[in-house]
Amino acid sequence: MTALPTSLPKVLAIDDSELIHRLLRVRLQYEQIELHGAVEAREGLRMAKTLLPDVILLDIEMDGMDGFEVLQALKADLDLQDIPVIFISATASMEDRVRALDLGAIDFVAKPFEVVELKARVRSALRVQHLVKMLAQKAQVDGLTGLWNRTYFDRRLGQEFAEERRHPRGLSLVMCDVDGFKRLNDECGHPFGDLVLERLSKILQSGRTSDIACRYGGEEFGIILPNTAGDEAIEVAERYRTAFEQETWPAAPGRVITASFGIADLSSLAGAQGPEDLVAAADAALYRAKVNGRNRIECTPSHRPAH
Amino acid sequence: MRMANDATPVRSEFADDPDMAGIIALFVSELPSRIAAMQSALSTNDFAQLRVLAHQLKGAAGGYGFPKLGEAAAMVDRGIGEGCDHNVIRSRLGMLAAFAARIRA
Repeated sequence: MTALPTSLPKVLAIDDSELIHRLLRVRLQYEQIELHGAVEAREGLRMAKTLLPDVILLDIEMDGMDGFEVLQALKADLDLQDIPVIFISATASMEDRVRALDLGAIDFVAKPFEVVELKARVRSALRVQHLVKMLAQKAQVDGLTGLWNRTYFDRRLGQEFAEERRHPRGLSLVMCDVDGFKRLNDECGHPFGDLVLERLSKILQSGRTSDIACRYGGEEFGIILPNTAGDEAIEVAERYRTAFEQETWPAAPGRVITASFGIADLSSLAGAQGPEDLVAAADAALYRAKVNGRNRIECTPSHRPAH
Repeated sequence: MRMANDATPVRSEFADDPDMAGIIALFVSELPSRIAAMQSALSTNDFAQLRVLAHQLKGAAGGYGFPKLGEAAAMVDRGIGEGCDHNVIRSRLGMLAAFAARIRA
């Protein structure tokens, strides 16, 4: 889940000259990249949006919309603003180069380009992009468990909530809290507590690939279930609950570690205004699970008590 | 002894690169129509179009192993940019066309 994509990095060239595209295709054919081309600025922006390339090679002088305008549009788009842009221009005035860099271009190559230099600059930009992606992902992954962190949870739940509003296909949220975790830490030590969180996280990661397991905080997990409603959400939570219960702990022989689960199903939550209402509903169900004896699942609305 | 004259063929600096052979041949075969398009733009005083074409050639020719062709195209591009008069542009385009005529794949 935390691995970066292994497919070839994508490079998008936006240049109004077919001559340049032919040249790039030949000159970059042995590079470990997937090259795409657009001969018009707006087409280039559209392609950037769907391809999400790792590097963009951008011509300055184009009819209609020039390279500077394309760069500004890229930088104004949250999905595209971190993609490194290398300007390729035959004009190469000092003012243009400075302006391109000031607007956020990462590099500048003059046409006609030296092939060796172009390749080196593309590779350099790809390295930067790799690090940017890695950092962006690291900033969203919990260090101890490898699950998505709270920041990611909030953002993703917001996206899934909005998506569900546009195209309802079912959306459920499971909040899960390890039972008696404080006592566990006190009796077995914090390193064991950490081990428990890691192992339970592995179980959560081994579930359905569509489940989005996050560390919500402390010993609490939030699992977003897109395309899932009603009984199916209960079945998913039940599988996790059983797997937790059955896990053996060589460092604490005979110990059974359990968790309580609260489920909120958006399709049966009338009046939910935003993702926070889904979290509140799942939390309320989790609270009932705790009060009703732990190691159990409760739902909001409580149409069916489980376990 | 024969002196090199204006008819001396010009070949690509990358003529020995088998990867380049295909696109160089295409470039050379399309060159006459590119030059014709530029002359046609000049004859209708469409300097904007002439400049786009000259600019594209300027940026690409070197990449195909014809840097002097790129320089000749740059003279046309710059001439328009600097507002040179029609005669100057025509003369520069003439030099570009004459050089282009010597190019062989």
